[in-house]
Amino acid sequence: MHSKQDKKLKILWFRGVTCNGNTHSFLNLPHLEQLLNRFEILYHPILESTLSLVEITKLKDKCDIFIFEGAYDPLMRRNEVLIGDIVTHYAKNAKHIIAAGSCASFGGIFKASAPQRNSGLIFNEDVEYGPLQSYKDRVINLSGCPIHPEWLSYVLGMILNKKEIEVDSLHRPIELYSNLAHHGCTRNEYFEWKVDADNFGEKEGCLFYKQGCRAPMTHSSCNKILWNNVSSKTRVGTPCFGCTEPNFPLTNLFSTKTNMSIPKDVPVGISKRSYLTLTGIAKTFYIKRLEGKLIDYKRDN
Amino acid sequence: MITKEIIEKIEGEASVEFEIKDNLVEFATISFPHFRGIEMILNGKNALDALVITPRVCGICGHAHLMASVRAIEDAYKNAGYEIKNNQKIEKIREFTLIMEIIQNHFKWFYMTLIPELEKLHSTSLVQTPLKGAFAASLAAKAIATFAGQWPHSSYMIPGGITSDPTNIDILQVQTYLQELSLFFENETLGTSLEDFLSFESCKEFRGLNSDFSYIEEKLISLEMHEKGFAYDKFLILGKHSFTSVSKLNKTHAVGIDAKFVNTVEAYSPNQITYAKNAQYKKEYYETGPLSRMMALNFPIIKNMHRRFKDSAYSRVMARIFELAYLLKKASSLATTLTIAESSYNSVVDISKITASGLGVVEAPRGPLLHKIEIEKGIIESYKIITPTQFNIGSSSLKNPTPAQKAMQKLSKEEALFVFRTFDVCSVCTTH
Ligand code: SF4
Repeated sequence: MHSKQDKKLKILWFRGVTCNGNTHSFLNLPHLEQLLNRFEILYHPILESTLSLVEITKLKDKCDIFIFEGAYDPLMRRNEVLIGDIVTHYAKNAKHIIAAGSCASFGGIFKASAPQRNSGLIFNEDVEYGPLQSYKDRVINLSGCPIHPEWLSYVLGMILNKKEIEVDSLHRPIELYSNLAHHGCTRNEYFEWKVDADNFGEKEGCLFYKQGCRAPMTHSSCNKILWNNVSSKTRVGTPCFGCTEPNFPLTNLFSTKTNMSIPKDVPVGISKRSYLTLTGIAKTFYIKRLEGKLIDYKRDN
Repeated sequence: MITKEIIEKIEGEASVEFEIKDNLVEFATISFPHFRGIEMILNGKNALDALVITPRVCGICGHAHLMASVRAIEDAYKNAGYEIKNNQKIEKIREFTLIMEIIQNHFKWFYMTLIPELEKLHSTSLVQTPLKGAFAASLAAKAIATFAGQWPHSSYMIPGGITSDPTNIDILQVQTYLQELSLFFENETLGTSLEDFLSFESCKEFRGLNSDFSYIEEKLISLEMHEKGFAYDKFLILGKHSFTSVSKLNKTHAVGIDAKFVNTVEAYSPNQITYAKNAQYKKEYYETGPLSRMMALNFPIIKNMHRRFKDSAYSRVMARIFELAYLLKKASSLATTLTIAESSYNSVVDISKITASGLGVVEAPRGPLLHKIEIEKGIIESYKIITPTQFNIGSSSLKNPTPAQKAMQKLSKEEALFVFRTFDVCSVCTTH
């Protein structure tokens, strides 16, 4: 019994300045129990753990996987121990370091609570900065506000399978972040033909032109691996706010900034000129099917 | 003797400093050490951005923050002369997703906080099943996501409506999640049907059950939690909803109230830094949350329980589980009466036309949540948040303790720590 337990990789999950949203999102994972059974939880703020907060702040133990949730505030203390000491102690000994969520990756929302000093583990927005520079090769950023449970499950699964996780220049796994949030949105056809949503609360129309959707500029698989296995923001008519990108949160999140009557920011990798030309052409067509209601209910129901 | 305890396995972290005399708690001061500055972050932003930022106050009750925000902004529209009247469909869907968030919270609290803590106190092994709570909560989250896109951190409520336009397929899907969740609750948690449970008239009827719930009920009695953990026997409900009634109660006597009389006072915590202010109603402390909400309704069992055990730790725990049953039923009836004919959104004037203040009040899982916004031409001039944990817990002086401080007095330290958790502490909300 004992030896088997000992062989399990040890996870230590620690919190900086956070709302705990990454924890709660992770708890939605459908196969949570099977996954967690394959690890030992040395410490987690909510889940049953081998050690208490007081014990882990003695900095005597080591973990194999160090997961950090929240922005890093160098002045923060847990059980009176400076967070920098805690973070470097566990990172130094861990084989894998995971920044869970946008705050831990880039600073996110809680960078703003102390902009001069808060950051992510190895980035301040997209600039290299933060406490774990010396261990940056081992850091995987799972940006997103919050993290998607399946993304973390993917990383843990790859670690269990002893597979290399390839990352992009911002240390995000390419298998998760090569997609744009726009890929798989149910409104893609409206995007192609440049038919914008007249209003919120409709199934029809694309949210890129007026409602502020940032999905064509946002790396994530939100519309591929659905949220809660059910839906996504854009599927329910909420614009994408670009929460996986280093510049999250932007402002004026429910409206699109425009320039020469096209969105100021155009899809990743497409030149403004090409986009303007294409828009001009697409807008010359009137496609009745795309202008009308998708479902025309005949009677009240 | 003074001892300090760090409280974990709650939402965030708190620390409690006990003054112990003859092995009993003379007094406890509470501090919430981690400041996050959401109110400051909001200043100068477009008022609608609050719908994206404030849910991020809290990972477990962000939806309540979303609703408080949208209500605050809609109130500002009204005060600026552009009243927004949402139709039934909009109100029902918002209410439904808010209820589902309370449900996910209570499941997690029951399995991930209450059971492990009781186990510690009782030094026996209870049902080792914290992940059951996560499973049930994830079903509730699916129901939310069907209308709201995702949980946590949805922003689907906007002034004038909701962003989604559900079909009957979505409504049926949600009903399926609810059926699955109710079955789980009946089979795993209660050991009886929802209907039967809700029709119980006396706590004695709990005894016939054989379930996670009955096991816990027995343990609470054997630990004499029905004779411990009393607060003021005064209750406060401020959020307007279909599932409770806005009032304050002195024991069972209810009177109507107005959220504008809520005030805050500085916390008392001489030895430790804290970032929480205490919240009061007309300068008095009240308990908020499930026990209060249930006291405001006329359930025979709640009356019976209160007559016998007052606002004890036992009543507080039982009321939360009872509320879970009640809200599951409420959610099912909302889902079955939902029709899609009305519009999901009605156009409102642009936010840049709005210069006004607004107040949004909702019942979050732990009680009233207030958002106060001041808007100048669409831009946030000031944003203030008051959370339920500020009402229940805060930290005051010996002369005038908060409900949680009062409830911990004259208990052993271990008992006091348990009683503290019966309030379902949310430190993250408190240090918004
Ligand atoms: S709404 Fe957003 S994600 Fe959907 S098609 Fe338009 S731009 Fe893409």
